[in-house]
Amino acid sequence: MAFGCPPDKFSEAKCNIPPPAVAAPTATNPKCSSLRRGFHCAALRLQDESKPYKPPTSSSTTYHEHYQAHSTEQDTTAASQGGAAADPAEEEASRPNTSYQDQSGEQGEEYETEEQLQARILAAALEFVPQHGWSMEAIAAGAETLGLSSASTGMFYNGAGDLVLHFIAQCNSQLTEILAEQHKHVQLGQAEPKKTADFLRDAVETRLRMYIPYIETWPQAMSILLLPHNIPDSLKHLSTLVDDIWFYAGDRSTDMNWYTKRAALTGIYNTTELVMVQDSSPDFQDTWNFLDNRIQDVVNMATTAKQAQATGEAVVQGLMGAAVTVSICFSDLVHHLYEFLFSRLFHAHQQQSCTQCLNQYVRSTDLCF
Amino acid sequence: MAASVRLLVRRVTRLSHGHVTVCPSGPSGPSGRCCWAPSSCRCFSDDRNTHFGFETVPEAEKAKRVYKVFENVAQNYDVMNDAMSLGIHRLWKDTLLHVMNPQPGARLLDVAGGTGDIAFRFLEYIRSQRERQRRHVARSMQALSWKDISDVYAAREGGEDGPRESRAVVCDINKEMLKVGKQKADSMDMSAGLSWVVGDAEELPFDDEQFDIYTVAFGIRNVTHIDQALQEALRVLKPGGRFMCLEFSKVRDPVLARLYDTYSFKIIPVLGEVIAGDWKSYQYLVESIRRFPDQEEFKRMIEDTGFYCVRYHNLTGGVVALHSGYKL
Repeated sequence: MAFGCPPDKFSEAKCNIPPPAVAAPTATNPKCSSLRRGFHCAALRLQDESKPYKPPTSSSTTYHEHYQAHSTEQDTTAASQGGAAADPAEEEASRPNTSYQDQSGEQGEEYETEEQLQARILAAALEFVPQHGWSMEAIAAGAETLGLSSASTGMFYNGAGDLVLHFIAQCNSQLTEILAEQHKHVQLGQAEPKKTADFLRDAVETRLRMYIPYIETWPQAMSILLLPHNIPDSLKHLSTLVDDIWFYAGDRSTDMNWYTKRAALTGIYNTTELVMVQDSSPDFQDTWNFLDNRIQDVVNMATTAKQAQATGEAVVQGLMGAAVTVSICFSDLVHHLYEFLFSRLFHAHQQQSCTQCLNQYVRSTDLCF
Repeated sequence: MAASVRLLVRRVTRLSHGHVTVCPSGPSGPSGRCCWAPSSCRCFSDDRNTHFGFETVPEAEKAKRVYKVFENVAQNYDVMNDAMSLGIHRLWKDTLLHVMNPQPGARLLDVAGGTGDIAFRFLEYIRSQRERQRRHVARSMQALSWKDISDVYAAREGGEDGPRESRAVVCDINKEMLKVGKQKADSMDMSAGLSWVVGDAEELPFDDEQFDIYTVAFGIRNVTHIDQALQEALRVLKPGGRFMCLEFSKVRDPVLARLYDTYSFKIIPVLGEVIAGDWKSYQYLVESIRRFPDQEEFKRMIEDTGFYCVRYHNLTGGVVALHSGYKL
């Protein structure tokens, strides 16, 4: 999943593990239903207090529709199924409604439901980010939209960091869905496969466009992500994102390229994000131009590297040939010198000098000079 | 209704404890929302005993004796707190507020609040939060054009009546403690947003779902039926509301435990005698600390009542524990 795990050369499976953000909402647990029923009983109280507020994002809207269906029908089954149809994050509610069961297995189920509730509060809090920034006030306002008291924000120990990380995870999972859709279309032959450079460009643009509603406050979010206790989580999300994009771009490399490609895309993504927060051109056109240029740079660098590698190999081969030739000549010369020395030491009657020996050597071997 | 069914099921499965603390109050068990006459309840439980420090007393008597203890100590309560804890109790209460992190507009109920320490800190905290918000708004308005500023003023006048005001209600069974608290508030000029109500933690005189935060600091061990107090807390909290309890608890580390025991039993009653002229009340205090359930047991009791996300922090090595739960 992260940079630290190079792929196995022999595995045919997908190189990366799906990011946890996608896995968590769809985790199904049969034991959850009884507590969810208890939860829906609690929810019946909440729907009297929730204001007639229509937030624009899909998850909060379906949550409200879910409660309003509840109030009209007083039937948990229909409401939970209606909620499930609309909201992918609440899939587990579509199981058949059971009667109120014994809650002996409560402990594990509670935590799952608490996390779902926290996810719902954070999703509702995103509406208030343009007004309050990425802060506890936004989370408190989000909780109040759901009918909960502002004291429930105490559940978020990391405060604003929780909100930002939740948003990042949500964007990553949306991007993965879009890329998977496109991949499916290509597999079915309904669309042409794009070139790598175009694919990367579109993926990064789609991902960065998700920041546009919050672009005013995005520098605050970036600074929150750089706080030391948030760095491990933000790096994990970034590496998951880059890995997903390269996977859907068709990268199946199993050598050093796996690292270099991801490092390059990380660099492109981060620099483009920085350009985007300072961009004031219409529809961020400057940012997309910058993105184009950076991707072009990387592609050029890749082709240059390939050319350099080919040239280098040719040069190396030439040098090797010359070196072999030289070494053969040298070894012959050394051999004759030894003969001369040996004869001088042990057979004193031979009055040849060193130069005569060399001349003899040259004549005898008739070298290729 | 579901909460009470769940509670009764759990009581059946837990028949005995090491402590005598949790005493089921028989057939007239908690029926959730309706108020039953106190006299009928008490006559069922007359034959049950509970602890009063290391003594065993009938339940009906415990409330009276606790009342008398606090009536005696009310005048010197704050001074004695400072002397006994060497001023550390202020840090404990400040930690409670920091963990609580109340948002502006929150309503607090401080039960067994007595002299109002928590309520005062709460109002201070909210006030400084509001100041910070106002400064933030003012800073963001500095670079605006004249047109934008006039728009903001127009919106402010014509629109909503501003953010909700935070309120704190201090509830205590003991009138003397409340009197001392009111005097403190008047002298510190902090009466705005404060109410003082006489009430029993086991039967709060409030409607359902009124408060965002319920706190009880160093008071719940004096309650005869702790689970009833917890159920009342669940009742008066809004959905999403938070229950917080600051209470003396068990020290884990053996060395510290020995020191703490020596200090508690040898020094505190002596201080009580010297400063307040009342040995027995402070003997009761340290004994009641020993009889209170430990951190894990109390956490289980809170979860049984129906709170979620229950956690505790140990302060000063376990001398004090801060339990927190949410009504979700």
